[in-house]
Amino acid sequence: MSAFLQYVVNGLTSGAFLALVALGYTMIYGVIRLINFAHGDVLMVGSFIGYEVAVTLVAQHWPVAVIVLLALLAGMAFTGGLGMVIERVAYQPLLNASRLAILISALGVSLALEQGVELIFGAGYSAYPNILPTAGFTFAGARASYVQVGMFGLSLLLMGGLYLFVNRTMAGTAMRALAMDRDAAALMGINVPRTILLTFMLGSVLAGASGVMQGMYYTEINFFMGFLLGLRAFTAAVLGGIGNIPGAMVAGLLIGLIGSFSDGYISSEWSDAIIFAVLIAVLVFKPTGLFGERVAERV
Amino acid sequence: MELLTVADLHAYYGDLAAVRGVSLHVDEGEIVALLGSNGAGKTTTLRTISGLQRARRGTVSFAGADITRAGPHAIVAKGLGHVPEGRRIFAGLTVEENLNLGGYLSRRDHTAVAARKQRVFELFPRLAERRRQLGGLLSGGEQQMLAIGRAMMNEPRLLALDEPSLGLSPLLVRAVGEVIQRIRASGTAILMVEQNARQALTLADRAYVLETGHIVLEGPAAQLARDPRVQHAYLGGSAEEAAPSPQPGAGE
Amino acid sequence: MAASGGLRRVIRLPPRADLPVRAGLTLTATAVVLLLPLVLSAYPMSVAVTVVTYAILGLGLNVVVGYAGLLDLGYAAFFAIGAYTSALLQLDAHWSFWETLPAALVAAAISGCIIGYPTLRLRSDYLAIVTLGFGEIVRITATNLNVTGGPNGLYGIPPASVFGTTVITEDALYYLGLFFLLIAIVFTGLLSRSRLGRAWRTLREDETASEAVGVPATKVKLLAYVMGAMVGALAGMFFSTQFGTIDPTSFTFTTSVTILMVVIVGGMGSIPGMLLGALIVIGLPEALRPISNYRLLIFALGLVVLMLVRPRGLWPTRRSRRGSFTAPPASGTAPEKQAVARPEPVTQGSLLLRVSGLQHSFGGVKAVNDVSFDLHAGEILSIIGPNGAGKTTVFNCITGLVTPQRGEVSLRGERSLLKVKPHKIVSLGLARTFQGVRLFERLNVAENCLVGLAAHQDRLVSRHGLLGRTTAADRREALRWLTFVGLADRAHLLASELAYGDRRRLEIARSLMSGPLALLLDEPAAGTNPTEKRDLMDLVRQVRDSGVTVLLIEHDMGVVMGLSDRVIVLDQGAVIAEGPPAQVRSDPRVIGAYLGREEQEVTEAVGEVPGWNS
Repeated sequence: MSAFLQYVVNGLTSGAFLALVALGYTMIYGVIRLINFAHGDVLMVGSFIGYEVAVTLVAQHWPVAVIVLLALLAGMAFTGGLGMVIERVAYQPLLNASRLAILISALGVSLALEQGVELIFGAGYSAYPNILPTAGFTFAGARASYVQVGMFGLSLLLMGGLYLFVNRTMAGTAMRALAMDRDAAALMGINVPRTILLTFMLGSVLAGASGVMQGMYYTEINFFMGFLLGLRAFTAAVLGGIGNIPGAMVAGLLIGLIGSFSDGYISSEWSDAIIFAVLIAVLVFKPTGLFGERVAERV
Repeated sequence: MELLTVADLHAYYGDLAAVRGVSLHVDEGEIVALLGSNGAGKTTTLRTISGLQRARRGTVSFAGADITRAGPHAIVAKGLGHVPEGRRIFAGLTVEENLNLGGYLSRRDHTAVAARKQRVFELFPRLAERRRQLGGLLSGGEQQMLAIGRAMMNEPRLLALDEPSLGLSPLLVRAVGEVIQRIRASGTAILMVEQNARQALTLADRAYVLETGHIVLEGPAAQLARDPRVQHAYLGGSAEEAAPSPQPGAGE
Repeated sequence: MAASGGLRRVIRLPPRADLPVRAGLTLTATAVVLLLPLVLSAYPMSVAVTVVTYAILGLGLNVVVGYAGLLDLGYAAFFAIGAYTSALLQLDAHWSFWETLPAALVAAAISGCIIGYPTLRLRSDYLAIVTLGFGEIVRITATNLNVTGGPNGLYGIPPASVFGTTVITEDALYYLGLFFLLIAIVFTGLLSRSRLGRAWRTLREDETASEAVGVPATKVKLLAYVMGAMVGALAGMFFSTQFGTIDPTSFTFTTSVTILMVVIVGGMGSIPGMLLGALIVIGLPEALRPISNYRLLIFALGLVVLMLVRPRGLWPTRRSRRGSFTAPPASGTAPEKQAVARPEPVTQGSLLLRVSGLQHSFGGVKAVNDVSFDLHAGEILSIIGPNGAGKTTVFNCITGLVTPQRGEVSLRGERSLLKVKPHKIVSLGLARTFQGVRLFERLNVAENCLVGLAAHQDRLVSRHGLLGRTTAADRREALRWLTFVGLADRAHLLASELAYGDRRRLEIARSLMSGPLALLLDEPAAGTNPTEKRDLMDLVRQVRDSGVTVLLIEHDMGVVMGLSDRVIVLDQGAVIAEGPPAQVRSDPRVIGAYLGREEQEVTEAVGEVPGWNS
């Protein structure tokens, strides 16, 4: 039982990280019908930015809390900008081209980011400075560290913020209208290119946050980490119903749990394969996901 | 005074040159019809005017400003509304939410938006009855009303309508015609694209006929309605509807 | 319009002026390729071997991506399956290299079906992700299982032996590779020219129309995977013997992407392109050592740039196959076995199609509300009604594009057509056209027509099946129907080049190729001017006179009244009148719902309609 609970704790933590990334996939697919291949790599870049900040500041003996805060902010700011640049350069011109053209462009961006980081940081693992406290508490035989709780809480906070933004602000309404019918939204006076850019920024900021948190939590990062993480997050986005924001949040946690149970009861070597199998199963049997799609067929 | 001026417009539909040198204008307070059969380039013309598509060549100016390269949101902000073909209302939103989005540009002025919504409901009482209904559940005619009402939320100086009578029963078509006249009376000019030439020529002041991307005829509507070429090409179908006698050479 | 006079006027071949140039180039290239080992030393030769391997892989992926238009991002899986199957059989079962060939091909074919099957109904981007997932699953499985040697893979694979010589040196490997490459070239070349190749091209253009014309979409898509997989397995087999060891790191996502780059760089669809692509993607970085670390980065950026520069998509506008339609002379040929098996003929007036109690709703709106009618052989029956009355939905229910929620559609009152796939319905005898003509734009007129035979040519093992080549009999049939509709002199034009009025005719010719019992025309007169309309009506009468029953949807009253034997009127999804044209047009319900009253009456009516008062 205690093992089970431990897997739940770990699963919820990793699930929260995944959910943040899944939101980006789902929002971006919602507005421009693109499986943003590069999204996982944006997370990876954020993670490396945070790494650079952390390593630099640790060497100068800055307080831990400040380092964490600055690393997060730096990562989020950089990825937010990166996401916007990518959209403008690689996707915007292809919005009216075929679905596959933009998908391949995204593939190119993804590879470029990976290769770029590999050339700069090497192919091996880089280690985040291990500065986080390990204190925690136990319950029913399972252990949860304060850091885990904190990161889970921060993730929820970010997700909640996004939800409020999308549903309570006019900019968020513009995003939703855009996801429903791009031309009609434009004719309402909605600045479509700017709204798309905003969507990318929000999604990328969340990915950056997730990347820095994961870097700090797991301490090892590598240029290829975005690939598999991204696919797991995409599985969550599809499972939740593509375009469905609350769906992505719940599904992210679900996939985190599935991954954790797989690591624990089977073996972490098979976890990716299992999650891929989930992805395939969802796409084949219930492509609208658990909670229903939120995209119209018309662009 | 010319409100909308289109000069030598060229635009593409995919790879096809759909609009090949179209020039037209709409004056304040006018109703102008753009006629032609399927594939003539009418929708592409409208979409290029409202900025949904890029013009390859030519210019579009509205209220004195050049809007050829402007984006659709900027053009709408200048007062050029467009009700696209197929209505394109937000099916997943209610009637009220649709109208609210129509007032997006004035979203900060709550009073104004509320007042305009009220006016739309007066123009379309049926929509008032269904204000909380999802757009996707409305009938074809109601959706058309909603699409027009939504465009009116922005108080446009010119309203471009793409096939407003498509898919509607003749009764509803006449009703839409009534609405169009009321809109013009309230100060908005109208540019309407229609396959249903009969209805369009009854309503319009002037008309243009488009064929494979070119304007082949233009003039006062009444004159065009009497023009044998127009009658032959576009009113022919309707003439047969009215005349009970079978066509020569046809039938059993 | 009609192609009178000799067939010779109809045949048009372009001058193949470049033929000697192309032949010369090919010969030179072949000579260079064959003599390469004389010039290069061992290391460059091993690079050449890898180039050859990737050329084979490129050819295989080209079948899936280039021919069939399915973006497979996990193609390395087939590469792996071929390699592991061959290696395992040689190591554990002591089979010889050549004995493992059929086994590798079979394993690949099976995996092609397994991987292809789930993707059949997915949209293109989801399809890409699913294939990626499968690629990863194969890699992870190979890494985790002991039988495949785990992360270290398999080693000690014996070298191949050809006529007693062991293939160990790079030169020998190179020639062995060229042999496999030759097989791959011939195989994929034959596929491209087969009926299957044409079926793939139509599937790529417009899947719905393709199926509605008779192409068995599921089978054809699966075959794309299977054929592509077999070529990949061929490369895999060869690869396993190259170093004598294989491990999972050779079959990663990066591998799949590299193969995709070969295909894209080479320009999809052309065989020499694949070879060039492999040379550039694999060979070039080796030649330019300093940049080889940046190889992937450069290609990645190149991908993005390529997409930006050519946003029309990956598939290059096909080399215009303008001159490839030739009809053999009609005289002097012995009567050939009928190329197309026709459905059994029907007697005039007998029941051909029975529709009863059809009901279907879309999102709360009843599009079809209890519609029933019979279609009798030899008649022209029209379904009319305002837009949105449900007419096209009725067609879609009859032709298998939509399964109605209630009701029955049966052929001759016996065989139910519900749940029958669209292409099967074509083979049973019902062909249709679409509202807003759906042609295969980048195929020429003749090819569009030839696809019409697909419904009767879907067997795998038969000269008249998918894997066979278009026969003279096929071409004669196409010419016959093209002449019938008056397009014979335009057979070589691309469909996209046809004038608007001719497009509908081509669609009709295409549908008639399958020898249908009934032709369902969806708004054939849409967008036509009165002259075109009159010609079309004549054509429809000729169709009926040739023995094909006609069921037509229209809302142009002139066409309907002039053509039909009987008319059915739909309004808001329900039948409100039925009978001969004259009777229907004076039916007050019809007039009220559809034809509209005179000007004054309507103005008053509008005034009285509640809600419109100002």
